[in-house]
Formats: sequence, C-alpha cells, structure tokens
Amino acid sequence: MAVEPPVDLSVRWNLSVRPDGAATLAFAGELDAVSTPVAWPNLEREFARTKVVSLEIDARQLAFCDSAGLALLYYISVGGMTPGATVTLIGLSPEFQHLFRSFSAEDFRALQKHPPTCSFFVEDVGAATWSWLSDLRQQVEFIGEVTLGVIRGLARPRLLRWKEILRVFEIAGVNALPIVSLLTFLVGMVIAFESAQPLAQLGAQVFVANLLGLTMTRELGPVMAAIMLAGRSGSAFAAELGTMKVNEEINALQTMGLSPVQFLVVQRVVAGILLTPVLTIYAMYAGLLGGIPVLLGLGFPLRMVLTQIQSSLHFGDLAEGLSKSVVFGGIVALVSCLRGLQTGEGPRAVGESTTRSVVSSILLIILADAIFAAVTYSLRK
Amino acid sequence: MNGGSHSLIEVRDLTIGYGDHLVLERITFEVRRGEVFAILGASGSGKSTLLKHLIGLYQPMQGDVLISGASLVHAEGEARLRILRKFGVLYQGGALFGSLTTVENVRLPLDEFTDLSEVAKNLIALSKLRLVGLESAATKVPADLSGGMQKRAAIARAIVMDPCLLFLDEPSAGLDPITSAGLDALIRELARGLGITFVMVTHELASIYSVADRVVMLDPKIRGIVAEGAPSWLREHAPQPWVRQFLNREVA
Repeated sequence: MAVEPPVDLSVRWNLSVRPDGAATLAFAGELDAVSTPVAWPNLEREFARTKVVSLEIDARQLAFCDSAGLALLYYISVGGMTPGATVTLIGLSPEFQHLFRSFSAEDFRALQKHPPTCSFFVEDVGAATWSWLSDLRQQVEFIGEVTLGVIRGLARPRLLRWKEILRVFEIAGVNALPIVSLLTFLVGMVIAFESAQPLAQLGAQVFVANLLGLTMTRELGPVMAAIMLAGRSGSAFAAELGTMKVNEEINALQTMGLSPVQFLVVQRVVAGILLTPVLTIYAMYAGLLGGIPVLLGLGFPLRMVLTQIQSSLHFGDLAEGLSKSVVFGGIVALVSCLRGLQTGEGPRAVGESTTRSVVSSILLIILADAIFAAVTYSLRK
Repeated sequence: MNGGSHSLIEVRDLTIGYGDHLVLERITFEVRRGEVFAILGASGSGKSTLLKHLIGLYQPMQGDVLISGASLVHAEGEARLRILRKFGVLYQGGALFGSLTTVENVRLPLDEFTDLSEVAKNLIALSKLRLVGLESAATKVPADLSGGMQKRAAIARAIVMDPCLLFLDEPSAGLDPITSAGLDALIRELARGLGITFVMVTHELASIYSVADRVVMLDPKIRGIVAEGAPSWLREHAPQPWVRQFLNREVA
C-alpha cells in the first residue's frame, strides 16, 4: 500500500507499507516552515490508518530542510507517529546533522512533565494576608520616616530643598489647573441639571444653588481635586521614583549616605499637602461657575443665586473642605511615593507601581472621606 | 545552511546621523557569507548607531544597506518583512520578555509567524535551547537566569527561525571573562555548525581575536572607516598607529 501527499507542496513524500508491517517513508524536495505544518497532520493521519512494525525514513532526496522540517523528521524517528515500531533515519545530508542532533526527546518529556504553576486557595489567602500586613507595616514605617523628615526639614529649612517643592508645585499644581477647571466646571453643571428637576417637583428649585454650594465646598471640590492629583501627579511621582529605583539611583543615594525619603519624598509630601487646598479652592470655584449658568438658564437672577449660595455656606463648610484636602493631599503624596519606592525589578515593575499608586490613593481618599463624613455628621448634631 | 561565497551585506555610501549631527559619512563595506564580522571603534564613534541602521531601525541620511542583494532602506511592507526575517538580533540586555518562560520566549517567533503544531514548536524551541546549552532552564523565567544565560537564551530566540544572519550588540557586555569566553565559543560553533553569518559590535578585544574573521574600525575624527581586515593582521600591520594601539590595548 502506498500513500501520496497533496500535490501543490514543496515537499513530496511516499509512504509504502508492506503486508508484514515494514514501511518506508521517502521524502523529496524542501521540508520547511511552510510545508511542514501541512505535511505533519497528513502523515499523522496516514500512519493512523496503517499498522507499522518497522519504519525506514529516507531523507536522501531532501534538498532543503529547516528546523521545522527537522522537527518533523525527529518526531517520526523517535516513534511519535508509530508507537512501538523500530524507526531508522537514513540519508540525512551532513549539513543538517548538526541541527538534528540538537533535538532531544528527553527535553521534550521534561517540558511536558513540568507541573503547571497553581497554588492552593488557603495558601493564596495566607500569602495575600501576609503581603497585606507587610504592606501595612511598611506604610506605618514610611509615615513615621516622612514625619521625621518633615520635622527635620522644619528645624533645618535647607534640608527641604524648596526649589524642588516649587517644581512639584508647578508640575502638579499650575499645570493641572486646566484639567481641574474643565472637570469640576462640568461636574458643577451636572449637579445643577440633575438636582433641578427633583427639587422643582417639590417647588424648591431655588435650593439648587444651596445644594451646589454645599456639595462643591464640602465634598466634590476636595474629592475631585484629590482624585485628579492622584491620577495625574501621584502616578507621575510613583513612575519617577520607580524608574529611579530600577536605574539604581535610589541605591546610589543610599550609598552616598543620603536618605531617599529625606531627599525625594519629603519635598513631594510637603508640596502635596500645601498644594491640594489651593487646588481645592480653585475646584470649588470652577464647580460653582459650572452650576451658575444652569441656574441662570432656569430663570433665577444672578444676584439671587449668589445670595442663596452665600446664605447656605458657613465657615465650617469651607474649613471641612479644606481640612479634607490637606489630608487627601498627604495621602496622595505619601502613597504615590511609597509605591514608587516599593517598585520591584523588571520592565513591568514601574507600570505596576504606578497602577498601585493610583488605586491605593483613590481607595484611601474615599475611605478618609467616609470617615470625615461620619465625624462631621456627629459634630453637627 | 547557506552556500555561496558572495556578500551577504553590502553597505554602500552610507551617511548616518541625528538631525544636523553627522555620525558617519559615506562609508562602504561588505560582510561575506559565513564570516564573523566585527564593528570596532572608540566610544562615540557610531558603532551602535551603525548597527541600528544595518538592522533597519533607523533610516540613513544617504546611501543603502543591501541584505542578500535586497535594499533594506527602500523596502516596504511585505518585501521589508521578508528581509527582516532573514536575520536575528541579540540586544545588549538580551531583551527577553519577563512575563514568559525561557522556552516561551524562544518559541514566540514560531507562534507568530508559523502554523506549526504545539509539539513541533516546543521541539524546535527546545532544540535551540540545547544548542545554546540552556535545555535545563526551559521553564525558568528570565529573572531567574544569570546575565550570561539571558544572552544565550536571547541567541536561542534569535536563531529559532533559522536566520542566515545574526547581529549582536555588545554580546560580552557585563559578563565575566569565563561566561564571555563561553559565549565566544557558542558564536564560533553556530557560525561553523549552522553557517550563520555574524555581525557584532563590541569593545572586547579578547572576543574579537577569538571569533572575528574580519573587522572594520570606525574613527569619529574622520567620521568613517579607518581600517578594515583580519584583527590579528591589523594589530601588527595597520598603517595607522592608533589602530595598532587600540588593538594592542596600549595607552596613546
């Protein structure tokens, strides 16, 4: 019985099997990365239909053979397609011998045996808890170290490197003004639109101004400014410090006897704490400016809108908003710098620490905001 | 795997630089099939920039780079891809993908460019790893490999598609002398056993004497090639004294 291959291939083969199970497989032409993927399954099907006891592979007529072709020859020669049969390979050109000898069934079996990387649920929970506790400990240590750095800086202002603080002010503050303006302006507008209808049903549409003033001052001004700071500048802090860690600049500072926290973190934290209230006041105004056109559109005169806003706000509301912003600014700067310094090794590490900095910052901002809400509510009662 | 004795690479009147800054002007040289060719020169002479032009990463200001007679500078689309598949590149740091195991790194080009079965791709990737002596590190990730092992794994990845030409950027950089000698032996073995042509940029004189058949020396002062020939011949007979000093590692 003889089996012929498909006709339009650069390689030709002829498989002939005698009744006693002795077979010959003769190749001719070019067995390369294009012809091998076609030849391989065809040959597997042909061998599956026959019972082969011994096989001789004849490669004398092979004009060219690349690694893909040699992989096929090797696979057949180790009985991959004829389990239990005796297989011999003859006539392989000496120029292919060197590559052919590099194939190894032993390596292949070792790769197949390699256990997949999976772990038990309990092990995962334990590892995650341990990692969370270590992270918590690092955060506490870090906060302590930064606080000490700030105190040292206040005692010796030269240590604070004011030039660097001003640079951070410019990058994280001044350069962020356009985006903060746009977003909070639109948020103010949305609040005015969304609250106008339900309040109109109660005949209290004029109180949209009060609502706008209170939400922007107490809540959305500080939260929006902090989230923007986390996404825009916190991620930049983490990426900058992470890259310095990968490039061994942090190690260089340490070996020079300089504290990376004092040298790199304290300035960013001081800048973050001083900058966020300013950004928050700006966000409050932008939000109010966004809501006012909507109220004017609803038919309320500007004077009335401003009076409503003024009457609804007290110093305590502004103090609440600003005190939140100080805490949020500290959180963003601290967390971003910590994530930056925690950067591991490898090209993905910086990206990972940047993502972690944004996620942790936003999470902690919302957590702190919830605590503020509960505390101020009980104080107002 | 490659026959013939004519040039594999022809660099013709190549002028390269950045913006208005010229690095090399109108240089011409050839790399013959099957030889190990080294590009030498002082720091800042434009070796790495030249290599980046030879592998088509940068466009020259003027001139052409022909690989097997086809212009890499002017080729586009499928034609360019055909030329690019003729060679592999070993970058200075190895450039292995950290999220993949060694064997996955090596078989990546097979996954992307061939229709071979999983068995075939694994067999080929493992055979290349065995060629570079890393068969036992197949399931390790690059972070668990030493610098020398990473370079060998990167060579395995570079040769997985059976290229006829390999470009090496500072292959011995950051390696200890023993690992570096091992890498030289591997280059010799691949050049002789598989007939691969090598073009390497290096500072390591020991490597050059050990593996290079011919070298070109670049001189930043003339923005061109100052000497070309077999390294041991140039060391003794180069007409320019500083070339002899360079190759003998003497202080000027």
